Amino acid sequence: MSIKLDNVTKTYFTGEVETHAVKNVDLEIKNGEFVVLLGPSGSGKSTMLNIISGLDNPTSGKISIDDEIISDMNAKQLTKFRRDNLGFIFQQYNLLQTLSVKENVEVGREVSKLPFTVEEVLEQVGLTPQTTKYPFQLSGGEQQRVSIARAVVKNPKIMFCDEPTGALDEEMAKEVLGILQKLNETYKTSVVLITHNPSIGAMADRIIKLNSGEVVEIIENKTKLKASEISWG
Amino acid sequence: MLFRNVFRTLKKQYVQLLLLGVIIILSSFIYTTMDLGIGGIYTPTEQYFDETNQEEFAMRMMDMPLEIDSDYITTSCPLVTEVPFSISALKVINKDCYYGLLENRLNTITSEYDNLILELRESKDVYFDFQGTANKVRILKDSEVINLSFFVDGEKPSNNNEIAITEAYAKNNNLVIGNTLNLDDKDYTISGFVLFPDYSLAMFSDALIFDNETQTMGLLTDEEFENLNETVYFEIAGVFEEGYTDLDFEEDVIDDYRNNENLVFVTSTLLTINNMRSGAIYAEIEGGQNTAIILSLLIASIALLIVGIMVSKVLQSQRGAIGILKSMGYTNLEITLPYIFFIAILSFPAIIIGYFLGVLGAEPMKNIYLIVYLLPSQAVAQTLETFVIAVLVPFGFLIIVSYIIIRRILSQKPVTLLNPPITSNANFLTKRMHGFLKRLKITTKIKHLLLYRNMIKFSVFIIGMFFAAFLILLSFSMVGVMDRMLYDYYDNTDHNYIGYCDYMDICETTGTQEKVIEIPSAILDDEDIYLVGLDPDNELHKLLNKRGKEITNDLENGIIITTSLGLINGVGVGDSLLLQVGEESKEFEVVGVTEEYTGKKAYIDIEELALLLTNTTTYSNTVYSATELSEDDFLIVISTEDILQQAGIMQNLFNIMVYVMIIASVVIGSIVVYILTVMTIEDNFYNISLFKVIGYNNKEIDKMILGGYLTYGIGTFLVTIPIAYGLFYLMTYYMAQFYEILMPFRFEIWHGILSLVIFIILFFLGAYVAKRKLSKISLQEAMKMYQV
Repeated sequence: MSIKLDNVTKTYFTGEVETHAVKNVDLEIKNGEFVVLLGPSGSGKSTMLNIISGLDNPTSGKISIDDEIISDMNAKQLTKFRRDNLGFIFQQYNLLQTLSVKENVEVGREVSKLPFTVEEVLEQVGLTPQTTKYPFQLSGGEQQRVSIARAVVKNPKIMFCDEPTGALDEEMAKEVLGILQKLNETYKTSVVLITHNPSIGAMADRIIKLNSGEVVEIIENKTKLKASEISWG
Repeated sequence: MLFRNVFRTLKKQYVQLLLLGVIIILSSFIYTTMDLGIGGIYTPTEQYFDETNQEEFAMRMMDMPLEIDSDYITTSCPLVTEVPFSISALKVINKDCYYGLLENRLNTITSEYDNLILELRESKDVYFDFQGTANKVRILKDSEVINLSFFVDGEKPSNNNEIAITEAYAKNNNLVIGNTLNLDDKDYTISGFVLFPDYSLAMFSDALIFDNETQTMGLLTDEEFENLNETVYFEIAGVFEEGYTDLDFEEDVIDDYRNNENLVFVTSTLLTINNMRSGAIYAEIEGGQNTAIILSLLIASIALLIVGIMVSKVLQSQRGAIGILKSMGYTNLEITLPYIFFIAILSFPAIIIGYFLGVLGAEPMKNIYLIVYLLPSQAVAQTLETFVIAVLVPFGFLIIVSYIIIRRILSQKPVTLLNPPITSNANFLTKRMHGFLKRLKITTKIKHLLLYRNMIKFSVFIIGMFFAAFLILLSFSMVGVMDRMLYDYYDNTDHNYIGYCDYMDICETTGTQEKVIEIPSAILDDEDIYLVGLDPDNELHKLLNKRGKEITNDLENGIIITTSLGLINGVGVGDSLLLQVGEESKEFEVVGVTEEYTGKKAYIDIEELALLLTNTTTYSNTVYSATELSEDDFLIVISTEDILQQAGIMQNLFNIMVYVMIIASVVIGSIVVYILTVMTIEDNFYNISLFKVIGYNNKEIDKMILGGYLTYGIGTFLVTIPIAYGLFYLMTYYMAQFYEILMPFRFEIWHGILSLVIFIILFFLGAYVAKRKLSKISLQEAMKMYQV
């Protein structure tokens, strides 16, 4: 699935103060592409991700995914669209503590029309031995892998990842990124990942740099590194 | 600063706090109002019973002369040429003979048992018309030793044109001393308001009619009492000599008299405490006090648990701030104080409001008792004991529980508090239930597991729902109690008028009138019963069984008993029972049970009964008629319409109770559901957002997060049905065994359906706000820093 942003702006109003979190952005993300949105805190990365993924509406402009204009969709249509096409991974794992690893993944599988099997996905993320464990019995990296499995099991066409390694140490972070890369390659899932860590850009097809809500630079990677080869900055 | 922070935190929860306040107020109010209200009756009642020498037991006697009585009449009453069928009839023929015979009976009892002081208690029932309504007065003959009359106002009748009645009846009918009442075409001036200690309820039969609007006790001069034409009822009132107790009486008399050949004339013996008309107030006072404690304790425990959950929740939301304060060097006491302070200033006013509302409600509560009970009262006064139990105890508990929770969280190290809480283990219920839920869909699993996550919250919910469901079911089971007791019976028969014939005459009938024999006192298998002789082919009094099938013709093959007799005595179809009528006895088989709750009553073929009584088949003493009977042709004529009217008034009283209980249960249930569901939404804020992000719609999330409440609410409701049904059965059994009165609670399918509908409405009312909050949670919440 390809994503297209035409002159997208998101403005927040606090009293009489206007804050442009995203300003006049034109952007296209191709089908199966691994894109990293890079920028410092306050650069508008999260707002951009929210808008692209339909979690939030733009103030102006048009966002289309394939032929569907998601910026015109109502809440009900957006829910259905997310359900059928999108997967999300956040810095916080948000796992349900009373459910086992397998059951947490089932939460994602339940809403999908053409899901993968839980077993297949858990194998992909290397959690088969932990299937029956509870979140509190896992390390941070393992918990994040569960949240990846929960997003992947839906068989999404696009995966949105918001600082997925933000709470992990280097070793665990590389493991998680490796999984995302593998999924992108195996299932041709488009991946949009936001981070403030420039090193991660080395594994993407394109790096889109943001600052003050504007796209300031787009870098195409000629040679992509494997996640394990990234030099952590 | 710390105080301001806690205040702002609590301010956000103002609706929950407000509703919690309502529960606390309710708890304190119920206890105070009932305790003080009952107190306003209890002390003067004790004094009144003592002063008037209330009977400690009552004995009923056969109104039929036995062989020994016949011998007495023959030898000692030369003026009585023929032994009448009843002793009450003997009084009309020869008063001295009647009193002599009854004195013999009393002497027989005292010669058999020591330590008893006995006195004859005579009464006559007069039906009269008052402002177009049929009313009834039970005139008691003034006694000398036991059950003395007690005047709350005015004086005893000093001449034959005066009457004393109850104050309750007078108030209900706007009568004052000096007004007149017309009984049997004679005007009586009201001389005073009287009470009798053996009638704390104006209950004249086994039917639960004791309304003081159409019934009153009455006192005339002794001479005027004798002048009344109505049938005299008599029984024995008794007290113990000093040192003799209820227990001794039970062992010596109650367990013995049925086997004593000299006391065949005694048909029943009841201790006052088991006698509803005189002793129900004892159970009422005790029951009222127990109900007050149980109800307020139950509501208070719900409030206490909710406070516990809320305090814990507020502190968890503040754990980071508390961690910082601790790391800055604030002591645990300094951090605790603002929380305790606000809990105290929020809960204390609620408890105090509840207490003072209770004080205000005590007087009306006392008056509610006095609508039904005929007792003296005194002004309600506050007591230290009530204040301590209603205010200080719950307040102390709230503070202690809150303090324990706060200190538990504060005992953690600052660094632990600065990090999100980590669930280190699943609780017992989650672990146990996981296996059972294995095969269910994940969304269904979540629905259950989210509820198990907080055992206290889950318990509050279950207790609250049980409480609400039980009250609703109890309310509905009371619907139609009076209909079943009286209305249905008279509605299903066509004997609109009952005429009682003169004692020595055989009844004559005309047209469609039918002859009947009514014997108020016969012995069936050692039990005193009301026996009715009917023609198996009669048209006016058909007997119907539970299924509505007519069984009148079965009288040709045996006796038919009422449901109440069957239940109280544990007999049914197929049992062979010995029927004793006067000197005669004969074995009969029970061939049917009528759907009647009109006391211990049995029906027999009129010819069989006439043969037992007179050796002829033509005898009858009563006439049933569909059309009005002339009072000139009968000793007394009773219209069943009058009885139905009284039943209607009693049913209205029951209906008011039903409405009050349903409203109370819906209010409490909705508040519990509201507080818990809103808390659940807050607890699952991030989960809900995440579910939305994943693509679940609001309906699906609602089902997952709140659906469990509905499922377990309905589950609790269904579990409550057999429990409630069992308790109703126990209550019915208790009433039957203790008072020999059958309270026909009934649980019908429509009660269940309607209760369920109300229960679901209650749930949706309570969960409405939570559902709205759920739909408003934004999708971006899932991205924020939080650990579930």
